[in-house]
Amino acid sequence: MKNKLWLATGTVGLGLILGACAGESGGGDSSSESGDATQISFMHWRGEDKAVLDEIIADFEEANPDIRVEQNIYPSDQYQATAQRMLQEGSTGDVFTSFPGAQFESIQSAGFFEDLSGEDFVSNFDESLIAVGQKDGTQYALPYQLVFNMPVYNKGMFDELGLEVPKSWTEFQEMADTLLENDITPIAFPGADIGPNQFMNSMMMNNAPDEDVFAKLQNGEESLTNEWWVKTLEDFKLLADKGYIQDDALGTNQDSAMAMVANEEAAMLATGSYHMNSLLDLNPDLELDLLAPITVEESEATYEGINTATFMLAVNSNSEKKDQAKAFIDYLSQPEVASKYANETGQHLTVNGVEYESEALQNTSYWIDERNTRFQPRFLITNAQIEDAVLSSIENVLGGEDPMAAAEAAQQIVEENRE
Amino acid sequence: MRISKSIYLFFLPGLVLYSLFFLYPTISALFYSFTDWDGLSTAFQFVGIDNYTRAFTGDSIFQKTIGNNLKFMLTVVVFQTLVALAFALIVIKNTKTNVFLRALYFFPTILSSVSVAFIWAFIYDPSMGILNQVLELIGLDFLAQNWLGNSNIAIYSLAITQVWFHAGQMLIIFVAGLQAIPEELYEVAKIEGASKWQTFKSVTWPLLAPSATIVVAYTTIQSFKAFDLVFAMTGGGPNNSTEIIATYIYDVAFKSYQFGYASAISIIFMVIIALITYLQFKALRSDRVSY
Repeated sequence: MKNKLWLATGTVGLGLILGACAGESGGGDSSSESGDATQISFMHWRGEDKAVLDEIIADFEEANPDIRVEQNIYPSDQYQATAQRMLQEGSTGDVFTSFPGAQFESIQSAGFFEDLSGEDFVSNFDESLIAVGQKDGTQYALPYQLVFNMPVYNKGMFDELGLEVPKSWTEFQEMADTLLENDITPIAFPGADIGPNQFMNSMMMNNAPDEDVFAKLQNGEESLTNEWWVKTLEDFKLLADKGYIQDDALGTNQDSAMAMVANEEAAMLATGSYHMNSLLDLNPDLELDLLAPITVEESEATYEGINTATFMLAVNSNSEKKDQAKAFIDYLSQPEVASKYANETGQHLTVNGVEYESEALQNTSYWIDERNTRFQPRFLITNAQIEDAVLSSIENVLGGEDPMAAAEAAQQIVEENRE
Repeated sequence: MRISKSIYLFFLPGLVLYSLFFLYPTISALFYSFTDWDGLSTAFQFVGIDNYTRAFTGDSIFQKTIGNNLKFMLTVVVFQTLVALAFALIVIKNTKTNVFLRALYFFPTILSSVSVAFIWAFIYDPSMGILNQVLELIGLDFLAQNWLGNSNIAIYSLAITQVWFHAGQMLIIFVAGLQAIPEELYEVAKIEGASKWQTFKSVTWPLLAPSATIVVAYTTIQSFKAFDLVFAMTGGGPNNSTEIIATYIYDVAFKSYQFGYASAISIIFMVIIALITYLQFKALRSDRVSY
């Protein structure tokens, strides 16, 4: 009891100290009884999906008149901090979403995930894509979205210039040279925000085909000064030195980078499939597809791209409305509901039987079944400070540092934070 | 005269609020700084002074944040004080134009920090930003920079934004201080044949010392706690070059889930601010004079 009191006050304590520096943001509603219906809270970070989720929720409430669902949305960059506090209280987030990787691990170790293993709706999801929500054989969370964290490219522009999708690092450089000759920046890289954490995945996927490489880095079996990471940094340096990414890339945010691709000043956007809809909103005439740089020779390439099963749906173990929460996840996992969500948000999903209607989604669906993609390596770094060190080394190289020196500086931080 | 015991009731609301919102959180943060609590679990262990040892000997990022904070603080304190003082000297008289100018200079202060961050991120954008475009327009394109993307200058770019954001607030304090200086002293200085600089050095500045103390102390504390601006504009990057102690505490607590360690850094942070503020008060108090 004494411990619990300290825990509660400790949370408030640090929160208040930080509160002097940071303000609270996002909604603050909680789940409650609403008339005769039970109100549950759905906590997530996808503000851009609010409208379509409102429609889905309205349909759900019509089918389940005894349950009301309220969305509590917090921006993704604040979600990590906000989610843990809300889940601890238990008042918000009866249904919540989690990122894979460090956040999943932390929430799981804190015991906030309800075990979903025995639920019927688990079978509505593609079995091969939900492993990321499992721990020791227990299904704690169900990834809903399937995104490809690899560059989006202007297929129409490639066709016009007679360019093929490169299958090796040599071909990639030849392709980039042709684009430069035509006054087109090969890659728009949003280095000020998500660029490094997205592009690192495809840049390293074949330099370090071992999917356990970051687990080994964290336990001391691997080092950032080894060949796989130093080569990745050298490849980044080459992109910068040869002008394959735009000047001042570290000062460019994702909106500016998207504008470069939408205006056809750049051929590729180094983010992911989740930006295809936004690009088409900016320029409906674009024909888009996905393309990951193969940084080795063709014969050595293992992977063709990166996937992430994310937006993992879960039930808060502290919730008093678990049955209603599970009913909502069950509803979201119905193929017709998932199809509506997929088509209106422009996302691929992990749910079986989804019918993709938009051209962009149909044109890229082959990446789900026909291409050899690997799970986003960054999410396999479970220590946030080690992740920061890895990303900082990329920023360091793009800022002009020698790759080995950047790798050594990052490795020092890895060693300081190894558990 | 006998003082009624009921008078103590008047202290109570303030005391309760102070205890609840400062004393208690500080004590609990101190308590957690000696644990390995992750902020989520119900269990934790006491680790003695390990968190403090780690901060000073085993965490190069934390050490870097102290350096970043000092660079940021010194730039902001110097520029904000000088800009606010210069503008205050310009708008000291209560004319209609000056009242309007004071309101104009004060305007950025009423904006939210997120709005300021958006405005300045746009200004600093290397390709579309207005700053580089203006520099190119007036033939100073060699000065155009990657203001937030260059790890050597990003912290100073943030500091300039902070100055723009808060200089107006300090200007008001300086104006109040300047207006409180008796006019007769300036008349005496004039009769004695003092130059403008001599008048400023011997009359204005010494009598402005109390205001300057407040401005410098407040600016120091404010610049140490400039969390919102840094978080929204650079998130601490590139390569941790703009990571300051406040943003680092946030990262450690809420991204790495190391509340115990974050608490230890918070305590160190509090001590650093208290120490610097004390030294500033002491230094600036010695400048005070009365005529």
